[in-house]
Amino acid sequence: MVSDEVLRTHLQELRRGTVVVASLVALRRPDYGYALLQRLGEHGFPVDANTLYPLLRRLEEQGLLTSEWNTEESRPRKFYRTSADGEVVLDRLLDDLTAVQTSVAGLIEGVDR
Amino acid sequence: MSSLTDRYVTATLRTVPAPRRAEIASELRASIADMIDGRTGAGQDADTAEREVLTELGNPDQLAARYADRRLQLIGPRYYLVWWRLLRTLLTFIPAIVGVATGVVKATVDGEPGAAIGAGVVGAMQTAVQIAFWLTLVFAVLERTNTPLNLPEWSVDQLPEAPNERQVPLGDTCASIVFLLFAIAFFPWQHFQPWISGDGSRLPMIDPALWSFWLPVLLAVLVADICLEVAKYRSGRWTWPLVAVRTVLDLAFAVPLTWLLLTDRLLNPELVQRFEWLREGGTQDLARATVLLTAVIVVLSFIDSAVKARRHAA
Repeated sequence: MVSDEVLRTHLQELRRGTVVVASLVALRRPDYGYALLQRLGEHGFPVDANTLYPLLRRLEEQGLLTSEWNTEESRPRKFYRTSADGEVVLDRLLDDLTAVQTSVAGLIEGVDR
Repeated sequence: MSSLTDRYVTATLRTVPAPRRAEIASELRASIADMIDGRTGAGQDADTAEREVLTELGNPDQLAARYADRRLQLIGPRYYLVWWRLLRTLLTFIPAIVGVATGVVKATVDGEPGAAIGAGVVGAMQTAVQIAFWLTLVFAVLERTNTPLNLPEWSVDQLPEAPNERQVPLGDTCASIVFLLFAIAFFPWQHFQPWISGDGSRLPMIDPALWSFWLPVLLAVLVADICLEVAKYRSGRWTWPLVAVRTVLDLAFAVPLTWLLLTDRLLNPELVQRFEWLREGGTQDLARATVLLTAVIVVLSFIDSAVKARRHAA
């Protein structure tokens, strides 16, 4: 029996990069940190708040996200949106994700046959 | 604004680079407030919600490190192997050199031979600690400044010779031969540079009568031992013939030595007369202790070589 610890580590490794993909997709519609956290959770991407908030800032520094402060509501919030560069990177990432899925599917078929 | 959140934000910002501090603060405050609202909206009371949200965000130092993209390790994988190899290399010889130098200075310049070993050990240990500290500090700084070392890439040419094939390192062979040369030199030395007694007369330790036969035999065995070391190095490992020769040579040295001792023929009789404890049965005590020690050495030497020969044969 595989220990929970080992399983958790592998799942974490597998999920790590997908948070970036999910954020870039989700932020085609501008949103602020907490709302994005909720949306990602609802769509099957449970992310820790202490991972997501710094990640958003890092993606912004890399130019993949743009940001804008919204001060119209009672609480000023920073809204992020996927930039043009972000779209380019996202396209490559999605291609790669599809390629991985295809490869895994092909491998499974090949082994089963 | 509640004090727990204030304290949390302050603690997080403490280690975030100053130019980004204000913006991160506003964003973090808003995010925390949103998270608390999310929980109070579900019916939780505000204080519990705040505690849980801050607990979920975790250690502020860790969060700050993620914001600043700072590494939470002293020396990371990029530098670790270089650091480790350098540390090992430096620690293999520098503390020993300093220790010996300190000991020699203590014994000669300071004229305190009794304190030499202690001073040497302390000197060596202090040097080792200093080396470890400063080297680690330099690498920790490199890790943080992300300095490229521009070291040559690893290549297959750096692979060491297969270690299993060579059980007999050159260093061991050299050490053994030096020891044997000292042992050989001891015999003429004790004869021609003898210990000088109180009245100025010179007394060899070993009975000079033995030069007619037994001492040349023992010397011949020692010379044969040197040949064995060379043969062993050339073959690179212990083989069963080498084990047999080693055992025969060990016995050829140990048996005459112990027999001469037990029959009171090894030590110079004049020397024995000088010392009361040797005169009154001390030689037999000495002989028994030496026989025991020699037996242990012969047996251990046999086991050591046999185990190595067998390991290779297996």
